[in-house]
Amino acid sequence: MLVHLATNMLRLPAVSRALAGAAHSKGSIATTNNVQTSARASSNMVEVFVDGKPVMVEPGTTVLQTCEKVGVQIPRFCYHDRLSVAGNCRMCLVEIEKAPKPVAACAMPVMKGWNILTNSEKTRKAREGVMEFLLSNHPLDCPICDQGGECDLQDQSMMFGADRSRFTEGKRAVEDKNIGPLIKTIMTRCIHCTRCVRFASEVAGVEDLGTTGRGNSMQIGTYVEKMFMSELSGNVIDLCPVGALTSKPYAFTARPWETRKTESIDVLDAVGSNIVVSTRGGEVMRILPRLNEDVNEEWISDKTRFSYDGLKRQRLIQPMVKDASGQLVATTWEDLCHLKTTDFRAIAGGMVDAEALVALKDLLNRLDSDTLCTEEIFPMAGAGTDLRSNYLLNSRITGIEECDLMLLVGTNPRYEAPLFNARVRKSWLHNELQVAMVGHKVDLSYSYNHLGETTQVLQEIAAGTHPFCKVLAQAKKPVVVVGSSALQREDGAAIFKAVSTIAQNSRASSGVEEGWKVLNVLHRVASQVAALDLGYKPGVDAIRKNPPKVLFLLGADADCITRADLPKDSFIVYQGHHGDVGAVMADVILPGAAYTEKNGTYVNTEGRAQKTRVAVTAPGMAREDWKILRAISELAGVTLPYDTVDEVRRRLEEVSPNLVRYDDVEESNYFKQAHELSKAVNQSLLAAPLVPPQLTVKDFYMTDPISRASQTMAKCVKAATEGAAAVDEPSIC
Amino acid sequence: MAAAAVVRGIGSNLSKNLREVRLHLCQISAASQGPRDFIEQHYVTLKTANPEFPILIRECSGVQPVLWARYGFGKEHSVSLDNMNADQVAKALESVVNAKP
Repeated sequence: MLVHLATNMLRLPAVSRALAGAAHSKGSIATTNNVQTSARASSNMVEVFVDGKPVMVEPGTTVLQTCEKVGVQIPRFCYHDRLSVAGNCRMCLVEIEKAPKPVAACAMPVMKGWNILTNSEKTRKAREGVMEFLLSNHPLDCPICDQGGECDLQDQSMMFGADRSRFTEGKRAVEDKNIGPLIKTIMTRCIHCTRCVRFASEVAGVEDLGTTGRGNSMQIGTYVEKMFMSELSGNVIDLCPVGALTSKPYAFTARPWETRKTESIDVLDAVGSNIVVSTRGGEVMRILPRLNEDVNEEWISDKTRFSYDGLKRQRLIQPMVKDASGQLVATTWEDLCHLKTTDFRAIAGGMVDAEALVALKDLLNRLDSDTLCTEEIFPMAGAGTDLRSNYLLNSRITGIEECDLMLLVGTNPRYEAPLFNARVRKSWLHNELQVAMVGHKVDLSYSYNHLGETTQVLQEIAAGTHPFCKVLAQAKKPVVVVGSSALQREDGAAIFKAVSTIAQNSRASSGVEEGWKVLNVLHRVASQVAALDLGYKPGVDAIRKNPPKVLFLLGADADCITRADLPKDSFIVYQGHHGDVGAVMADVILPGAAYTEKNGTYVNTEGRAQKTRVAVTAPGMAREDWKILRAISELAGVTLPYDTVDEVRRRLEEVSPNLVRYDDVEESNYFKQAHELSKAVNQSLLAAPLVPPQLTVKDFYMTDPISRASQTMAKCVKAATEGAAAVDEPSIC
Repeated sequence: MAAAAVVRGIGSNLSKNLREVRLHLCQISAASQGPRDFIEQHYVTLKTANPEFPILIRECSGVQPVLWARYGFGKEHSVSLDNMNADQVAKALESVVNAKP
């Protein structure tokens, strides 16, 4: 019924922590009554009645939350459990027995002994009245409105509205606002719930949206012609209960009841946001967020949401071989049988699933080669990738909400991991988190203490001579996050050593308990953690030092190795899904599947293994990556011992058992040992300042083969550099 | 302790026959106490003597502790470390180091 509201989680922090061990981490709806056990014992619980049924709640709980606990959903438009309470839609009015007026359930805290009547005559009359007022100025756009079928106004007017209209006046109309190439605004439909205003201000940190005017002439917008410039801007589309804010790329393409929804994981960054891929007729229509309290809550970044049109362009759909004249010519899978090679090295890119990674590793190992590299560098000096705690976001994304001081080193989390940044902002806003940064000054959506951008600052903090060390020593639950872009530098090992020292020192001085982890690494690509778990060598140095005759590129498009680095007559095989940098320099192209077309395991930067599922079939002759490698293994004479996905996953378990523990994070320890080994690292920091590669929003949109192929992302970059008016949109209603 | 002597005996010879060593253990169960002690006490020595050699330590809750050894041409051999103490773990490591694939 109320589709958008079905994912309400109780906001009480105690409740969410109590449920943390159970299915909560999988994002289930919490309607279990977990306060019954010590009802009389806990003296601060308040007894309230909902339609005569008694329920015990903590004082400060609102009427709406109390009803939800019992399982009664009160209709609302402006209330959202992740935003502050506004109380302006009045749809949640319920009658309290013996009270003179109905109360706004979303804002009124319960008092002892109240009997909340959610379906009485007065409540029903109030709802009908509010609905009548909302519909009085609402245009008759349902047939042409994209929100039809998933519209809160439609659903609630059917359930709670009057059956006949008495409207004979004229309706008001409002001009549409241009807030960018992603969000389509038809402000006539706006019911002024102000959810978008509160989201922009609280969650996104961009105070662009606001209300102008009062009463009938109230308008929501940016007042001046301004773009809603945020990496989380697409989430207002989900928040808006009516069709005022809709997705521009998705406009007029599908109705929600026609689409099939597949639960999957996003791989365009290392956060691993949970998504729902909506498809119709074998084509991805749109991507929506899926609730996961531990990773992305209910939000996804713009790149995740809108780059799905890149999945339909620049696709590799047929195997290709370079002929005598140097042109790539399409061929068939059967014709590739003549390719037999036994001496090759491999590089894995940023969007490869763990199944393909393990198949490639097994293949190469059986051919007596150990040179499997990832494009992303990680310092191997010291413990390197032996200990998982060295390369994971150990505090987890939920841990950010508990920490009181965060030190960011050489990263711009706003554009490298927007949902991680959203969580930091949430903690900064509600839990008084203090943030300090060593690195280039960037606009994070919250204020922070900028300590400097030179490695000198880092050295001083590690040595204990910087004034910030006093602040760090007093923190009770400190967290240090180093970005993987800082570790790509030549002095990456020295930077990691400094960060490890800072983490160890602050841990010792804070006196926090054993279970709290201070050192964290924020990755930028989805396949890095899985590759490191499996034993890949990070960085292409091994290949540069010893260039092979045959190089296998598995989705490697970051331009780390070019033809210039390899011997003149070297042979390059590229397996991937887009015709990007890697395919251009290849001699043989093997078309693989993108993340929406395969059952793949991806491990996010916290170390959480998650699975993508097949939403559409891969185009043309493309196949799942591990299957191609299995076929190559047969041609090479070293047939791999697995034929189904389950068998591959059993092999994954043999290599690293955490890869098949889906949706959970495995604790990793031995920080002391890792630190001891890093102390022996003998590298000095370079004087170059720590500058992350993504500095402003225009660097955010096109960072991987899929987003580089997306027209929507190209429009975003153009709008970010030249302004919203510069983007050429077809003029439609 | 016997384990320290064994580790000293292995010295820098991990890469003699082996290509990779993987240690699977549980973070809290009693059966993995031996492997946990071994890592805590001897991993640093082992790694300092073999800085380029991958000794992958993969903790996962509820797994049976196992030592996986990978030799050339993808041949793998696993040794169960269930309920062993640190000395026995060291002996198991020594046996896979010296084993010919």
